[in-house]
Amino acid sequence: MRLARLLAAKAVTGLVMIWVVASAMFFLVLDMPGNPAQAREAQDILHGMTPAQAQRETAAMFGFVPKQPLADQYGHYLWQLLHFNLGVSIAQEGTPVAHIVASAFPWTVILALSGILISFLIGVCLGVLAAVKRSTRLGDGLTLGGAIVNGVPVFVIAILLFYLFTTIWALFPQGGNVSITYTPGFNAGYIGSLVTHAVLPVTAYVLSILGAWMLTTKASVISVLGDDFILAAELRGLRPLTVARYITRNAMLPLFTILAIALGLLFGGSIFIEDVFNYPGLGQLMISSIATKDYPVLDGAFLLIIVAVIVANKLADLSYPFIDPRIRRS
Amino acid sequence: MTTTAALTPEQLQRAMRRSRQQTASRWRLFVNTPGRIVSCAILVVFTLMAIGGQYLYPANLPIDPDSIYAPPSLAHPLGTDFEGTDTLALVVTGARYVLLAALIAALIAVFIGTAAGLAAGYYPRLGGSAIMQVTDFVLAIPGFPVLLVLSTIWHFSSVLQMGVALGVFGWGGIARAVRAQTLSLRERGFVEAARGLGLPGGHIIRAEVLPNVAPFIGMNLMLQLTGFIYIEVGLFFLGAVPYSTNNWGVMLNNAVFQANAVTSPRALAYLLSPLICILLITLALVTLANAVDEFFNPRLRRV
Amino acid sequence: MAGDTGEATLAGPAGPLEHGPDASAAVRVRDLTVSFPTPDGPLPAVAGVSLDLARGQITGLVGESGSGKSTLALTLLGAVPAPGQVASGSVVIDDVGDVLALRRPELRQVRGAKIGYVFQASQNSLNPLKPVGKQLLDVGRSHGVRDVRKLLHSARLLIDEMGLDAERVLASYQHELSGGMRQRVGIVLALVLNAHVLILDEPTTALDTLTQASVLEIVRKVHAERHLTTLVISHDMGVVGDLADRMAVMYAGRIVEEGPTAEVLASPKHPYTRGLLTAMPRITGDVAEARPLPGRVPDLASVPRQGCVFRPRCPLATDICATAEPADTVLGGRRFACHVTAGEAA
Repeated sequence: MRLARLLAAKAVTGLVMIWVVASAMFFLVLDMPGNPAQAREAQDILHGMTPAQAQRETAAMFGFVPKQPLADQYGHYLWQLLHFNLGVSIAQEGTPVAHIVASAFPWTVILALSGILISFLIGVCLGVLAAVKRSTRLGDGLTLGGAIVNGVPVFVIAILLFYLFTTIWALFPQGGNVSITYTPGFNAGYIGSLVTHAVLPVTAYVLSILGAWMLTTKASVISVLGDDFILAAELRGLRPLTVARYITRNAMLPLFTILAIALGLLFGGSIFIEDVFNYPGLGQLMISSIATKDYPVLDGAFLLIIVAVIVANKLADLSYPFIDPRIRRS
Repeated sequence: MTTTAALTPEQLQRAMRRSRQQTASRWRLFVNTPGRIVSCAILVVFTLMAIGGQYLYPANLPIDPDSIYAPPSLAHPLGTDFEGTDTLALVVTGARYVLLAALIAALIAVFIGTAAGLAAGYYPRLGGSAIMQVTDFVLAIPGFPVLLVLSTIWHFSSVLQMGVALGVFGWGGIARAVRAQTLSLRERGFVEAARGLGLPGGHIIRAEVLPNVAPFIGMNLMLQLTGFIYIEVGLFFLGAVPYSTNNWGVMLNNAVFQANAVTSPRALAYLLSPLICILLITLALVTLANAVDEFFNPRLRRV
Repeated sequence: MAGDTGEATLAGPAGPLEHGPDASAAVRVRDLTVSFPTPDGPLPAVAGVSLDLARGQITGLVGESGSGKSTLALTLLGAVPAPGQVASGSVVIDDVGDVLALRRPELRQVRGAKIGYVFQASQNSLNPLKPVGKQLLDVGRSHGVRDVRKLLHSARLLIDEMGLDAERVLASYQHELSGGMRQRVGIVLALVLNAHVLILDEPTTALDTLTQASVLEIVRKVHAERHLTTLVISHDMGVVGDLADRMAVMYAGRIVEEGPTAEVLASPKHPYTRGLLTAMPRITGDVAEARPLPGRVPDLASVPRQGCVFRPRCPLATDICATAEPADTVLGGRRFACHVTAGEAA
């Protein structure tokens, strides 16, 4: 019962956050110099549409009708959103934004999730190693390496990887997500091409948060190793494997906070990585829509990213009580 | 069981001397790590670059169509770019924008973040949790996409505009750290004693809490600076913000997207120069942030 | 057996103590030295300690913080806290042998099954993420217990004896238990595998007086019912005086006095013991009579390297105290280490 209430509370705050962001974007579009909606409408009329037709077209594109009372515009906008209608693209005439965005979304998600998973596995192992071997050369070296990798910004990693492995040593394809010579489907050629094109971008994701996983794990393990209950467990004669499990489960707790932050960082980083590697995900969509001034698409992509991050955060929040029984009370 | 007798004046003097010696040895430990000295040196060098760079070179750097992407040489220690301009000159003049914008952002972020954190931490029931909700909200949204979208509307390309934009969106981390520290300090003996004496909240915050929070502000500030540099260079790199003055982000944008330096093996120096500068500054800041942490947090010390 | 007054003859590490109780001791510590590395070289936290824990008796170990008593206690289980190391000595326990000579797997089997250790209530000695019952099963599994039901049954009986609700306790997490309850759970976990030696580190610290009293009662009860050999470590003379049959006083890593509790309390022979007793205010009599000991307990670095370790704070100090470390004086079933009081009549 208490859990259901927690769920409801988190869902409500999540929805509120999404609503705030969507509203902010509505007012931003209005605020843009040369309100693009109005500009579009004026352009349509110039091209020979009747004012009514122009209005309808702009409404379809941007999700609201300009020059109507503000409240009506706002209401219309929210109503469209609830129906997952994000407007219509300017650059790709007539294509619903929702379609464009939905087809780009999986590419970003696949890369980002692979990145999180792989970097989690490697980072935790290295972190435990660094903790157990601290004050030795191996441990100090690992810590230093982790700190260095942690400090390098994502685009630096992306550029370096691209430069090193596609230009200096031509080991990987120069961008794109798959070679067009293969027909899509579950055949070896297509899948192989997908994988080779994904290796460098995923590596960029992995390196961008590897440092954080590693350093947090190390600090957490060291802190748990010093806890009294570990000593108590040993003094009660518990098997080494059991003690290791005690240590691991307790050391994992702070990693969950990192998970939520990592998701946010990854979506931010996707903009760079997809741009450098020419990968057709949401990040690249945002960049190209800025260049073509395709504001509906820009807004749609941005909104989807924000929603994904908020949902992921809330899910992480919700899973806390399951991992840490001390939280269940509050 | 037993209690200690009151300290005699000689014992008191000895205790004070010992405490001074301890602080002195902590300082020596802090300074004696070569990594930290190097980090300080790096920051000093770049600061000098930012302050004095514009005086070393003319306002419009000369182009030299005869030596495009020239390899490093005595005349051009870092080679040249796609127009023949000396890369070193570009790097040195580019430092100013990057560091100045980050500094402005940092000042704003510290101001707002500290105020919000202190208020939320010291008055957790009165409005504290509302402030924290807002802060968590600001923190949860990935900063870069937001600034990217905003940059299309408000083209903040001047140093001041960029600094303000970054600062207004970047105070969350500091606020959270300050709040956590304030919350724990609030329960400490000396703060409770001050409250018991009836000292006004504002005075307590300024005189008792703030000095103890200062090291955390410093630490988070240094880490936040790396984030600011990353975002502003990123925005220029993606071409989202129009060119105003030369800076490293613009260099990267030119290199990767305009001039295809990434596909030309000869352009290594041109491509790597701004990257390495960013790397050096970031690493220096992270090292010093860790050093500050270690200095004020005895448990982390290696001795 | 040594006679009444007489010079001390504390034999070397190989020989048995020549004084002490007739019954063979369940735990025999001989000449134990545990050193810690410091910038000035390795320094002993426990220095040449010899102690017998008589079978079936409660022995109390009194000392202030920094006296080395916790280090000593942990060493009895072969768990010298890092970076300390056993420099010399042995800890021989009945039907176990020298604990310090055991290999890791054997040592692990001994802990919990032959010797039980109970932490202070203030320490979190339970895994915060697992309910007590599951941790109990972990202990059982680690010691190869096949009959889980029987283990749970014994645990439930023990918990009931402590005056707690067994089902509720077994299902609880550590943060759901009060300090007193945690203390009692600690005792249960230490005894559930029928260990015959029980070590309690500060069992009453951080507990309110009522809970203190009930914990002491519980200790007395289980000790008697299970014929344990118990060691109670405390800085609180009152606890030791209440509970222990024999008591030892520890200062700066050395045992300065030892003997039957009643005798030691009635006529303490070492100036430190006297000082401790004088420092305690009594309910009867003038409070001003209580006088604290001057000075502070030395840490590893400030322990005098020559002569008696107590000399800087001792009202009876003479010249010899500065140059020679006092050997044990044996007095019937007691011993103490002081140059000056050695000459006194019993």
